Amino acid sequence: MTAIARSVTALNRLLFALAKWLVYAIVLLMLWEVLSRYMLASPTSWAPELAMLIFGPFFLLGGPYLLHLGGHVAVDILSEKATGRFATVLALIGYVLAAVFGAILLWFSVPLAMQSYSYGETSYSAWNPVIWPAKAFLPLASFLLMLQALAEIVLALRGEKV
Amino acid sequence: QGVTKWRMQALWGGGTTPQLYEEKFCERVKQLTGGSLEITPFAGGQIVPAAQAFDAVRGGAFEMMKTFDGYTAGKIPAHGFSSTVPFGFPEADQYEAWFYERDGLAMAKESYEAAGLTYVAPTVYGEEPIHSKVEIRKIADMNGLKGRFVGLASAVMADFGVSVSPLPTSEVYSALDKGLVDFADRGDIKANYEEGLQEVAKFLILPGVHQPSTATAYVANTAAYGRLDDQQKAALEVAAREVSGALRQNIIVDNGEYLRKYEEAGVEIIDLDADDVAEARARAVESWKKAAGEDDLAKRMMESQMSLMQELRLL
Amino acid sequence: MESSLILLFMFTSLVVFMLSGAGLAFVLGAIAFISTILLWGPSALIVAVLNTFETMTSESLMAIPLYVLMASILQKSAIIDALYDAMETWFSNVNGGLAVGTIAICTILAAMTGVVGAAVAAMGILALPSMLSRGYHPPLALGAICAGGTLGILIPPSVVTIVYAITAQISIGKMFAAGIVPGLILAASYSAYILVRTWLNPSLAPKPEQAVTVPLSVKLSKLKALILPGLVVIGVLGSIYAGIATPTEAAAVGVLGAAASAIVTRRLSVPMLSEAATDTLRVTAMILWITIGARAFISVFVATGGADSLLNFVETLEASRWIVLGAMVLILIFLGLFLDEIGIILLCVPVFLPIVSALEFDPLWFGVLFMITAQMAYITPPFGYTLFYLKGVLPPGIGIGQVYRGVIPFFLIQVAVLILFALFPGLVTWLPEMMMSNAKP
Ligand code: NA
Ligand code: NA
Repeated sequence: MTAIARSVTALNRLLFALAKWLVYAIVLLMLWEVLSRYMLASPTSWAPELAMLIFGPFFLLGGPYLLHLGGHVAVDILSEKATGRFATVLALIGYVLAAVFGAILLWFSVPLAMQSYSYGETSYSAWNPVIWPAKAFLPLASFLLMLQALAEIVLALRGEKV
Repeated sequence: QGVTKWRMQALWGGGTTPQLYEEKFCERVKQLTGGSLEITPFAGGQIVPAAQAFDAVRGGAFEMMKTFDGYTAGKIPAHGFSSTVPFGFPEADQYEAWFYERDGLAMAKESYEAAGLTYVAPTVYGEEPIHSKVEIRKIADMNGLKGRFVGLASAVMADFGVSVSPLPTSEVYSALDKGLVDFADRGDIKANYEEGLQEVAKFLILPGVHQPSTATAYVANTAAYGRLDDQQKAALEVAAREVSGALRQNIIVDNGEYLRKYEEAGVEIIDLDADDVAEARARAVESWKKAAGEDDLAKRMMESQMSLMQELRLL
Repeated sequence: MESSLILLFMFTSLVVFMLSGAGLAFVLGAIAFISTILLWGPSALIVAVLNTFETMTSESLMAIPLYVLMASILQKSAIIDALYDAMETWFSNVNGGLAVGTIAICTILAAMTGVVGAAVAAMGILALPSMLSRGYHPPLALGAICAGGTLGILIPPSVVTIVYAITAQISIGKMFAAGIVPGLILAASYSAYILVRTWLNPSLAPKPEQAVTVPLSVKLSKLKALILPGLVVIGVLGSIYAGIATPTEAAAVGVLGAAASAIVTRRLSVPMLSEAATDTLRVTAMILWITIGARAFISVFVATGGADSLLNFVETLEASRWIVLGAMVLILIFLGLFLDEIGIILLCVPVFLPIVSALEFDPLWFGVLFMITAQMAYITPPFGYTLFYLKGVLPPGIGIGQVYRGVIPFFLIQVAVLILFALFPGLVTWLPEMMMSNAKP
């Protein structure tokens, strides 16, 4: 169990490390848009939209590993002072909520992403790209969040990390 | 018999004129059914963003929505033609006639059928204006300008030589003010006045060729719709058709009043030449064909509209 | 289930789960899911997913990672060190000079970046040791850093302001403009307080025993430190107000400026960019996952009719509009003690703004009042970001208690300034009106 929990964490760490570079792609796309509109007086139809399609996957993939890092905003008045079993219980509450959150998002986003794929849904703009690849990151990230929450539960119960 | 309670996700913000008409719609349905069908309207974005209402009704979160088909044209290409067509019907009445006197309504119903949704009826009204910082006297003047348009209009305007930026609605005012774009569409004449566009754009161009006439739509979840009795179904249709006429007339009167306010604020109102617009319409057909692509229903809708336009000597 | 019972459930469980220390995003989301099922049936859970799709494609929210990245690169590029060095040369011979200089640097940083963390962390590392070694009263030094660090919320660009503007559906550029004058007034008030207090009691912030004389030429040459920050400020705010870029695009211009500064200071490297990207994803994921949870929570709140009944309740109140306004501000300050600002905005603005409009207050002006309460939240225990940032750099012998004591006078100044702006809305609305509508008839 612990080994699985560790591999889940490793996977999410890897995805976080890859996803973080996407912010530079967003920067370059936005700069290109400013440049082409202001200097060349012809805004692109695609740069801001492509940046937006990257933005969702970027922040979604950061969520699961952030859970491991304890980086989600929380009120720590109690948990900071808690020790022993009480601290474990508090930590478990947080992870269970995160797992529920991930599971429900997963359950409801899978059909929507699949539907978007089967419709060949596009953004209906001047550039008009297909948008299911971006939508597909919601079920993926929700699944990873749920896995990470379960992994944290395992680690917390084994007393590996609280 | 018991009372059926429905929830409806609408398009517009709370307190706006179109949203007041959604409240009237619900009132009227209640009255016509003797209180057996009660619909609670939610203002645009209150529960789900307007553009996502399609999936919310499909998924059963709402029994009904007031939607703008343009939001789902990326899924269902025909919706580009059942919402608003750039350089399309110049009069709202002509567009509504296409729905009720030709096969528009039948095809709109067809477009929703496979998704498990039932198209009830459209609400059809007139143009949205174009606000410009530079003088635009003819369509050709738009060539080379920077403009803010969204949806099919952004593709069509691009075909007319406009450099299109699809900025968010909330940024239109400052984009015009700062010259980020030369001209822009936003909302209707009254709403744009209330946003203050007369302060930042000295020209108001009519007709708003990018959106000469508009159809929004009442669409129900088919399973929920199937549980209604005949009186309730008829009430939805009657109330919808009443609201369509009433809102359109309200907008006509408001437009007159607000155009005067624009003039008082020093805005010049430019009326494009009808022949110029008609000529541009003929050119826009190419853009329409691109939008319809290989989709059978979209092509049929477009052809049906074009044939009515030819009879009305618009094409 | 009765909707008022569900409302009661929502808020009780919000308090209970929040106190458990669970992530706010998941608390809000999970409560929203349970309430949706109770109120509406499981099929309505789809609403949360649909709201998330909308969050994923918001051009305006995309400004958040860009401003965070810019702040992070600036922080690692040592231009803050150069600024501090220049400030020390100029201000150190005055009582309280280093504390006033800290406020001055924070003001400059505030105009460059949109996040509070960068300023507080940098000043904690640079200004704190030097003030302490000079014998400054620790609470004064700590308070100045915390309060100065929060100026970035009001002085544009600012991530908190962006989130407010998006939620309130106001132009970001206009909202930015509204923060400039109030931000500068706050900075001036902090400085005035430090100068008066140390003039009355010089031992709180002594000047060096022997005045260090620095030749004017050296002093002037240190002003070079202002060039890079100045260019970044002009790049970001200038491109917004000159009509070159949207606020989101301006953030990308800012990243470019920050990277250019890092090249000048020879700090630009792949590991540095990698660290900056890590910081950025951490902060962005944190804010946007809360956004997902909060939007789900708010939509259930609206669906229960909670928002409407609150509005009706306020409208039937015989109370004056100012009392209602005061109550809203007090709620914001109270929530700020426990909650993070982004969460407060996402939760309160959709509920409060219809009330603000119904009472015929200006949402722009209310936004500035909101940002000031957000600044209060940043410096007040138990949940104040600046306190967390400082905790990590406190030298031995100085406890968090000294920080708490230090922020009190600055908190009171914020209260006073808040009341000032509430009474004189013109201070807030004058600049945005002038900047944004030069063509007004
Ligand atoms: Na700032
Ligand atoms: Na606080």
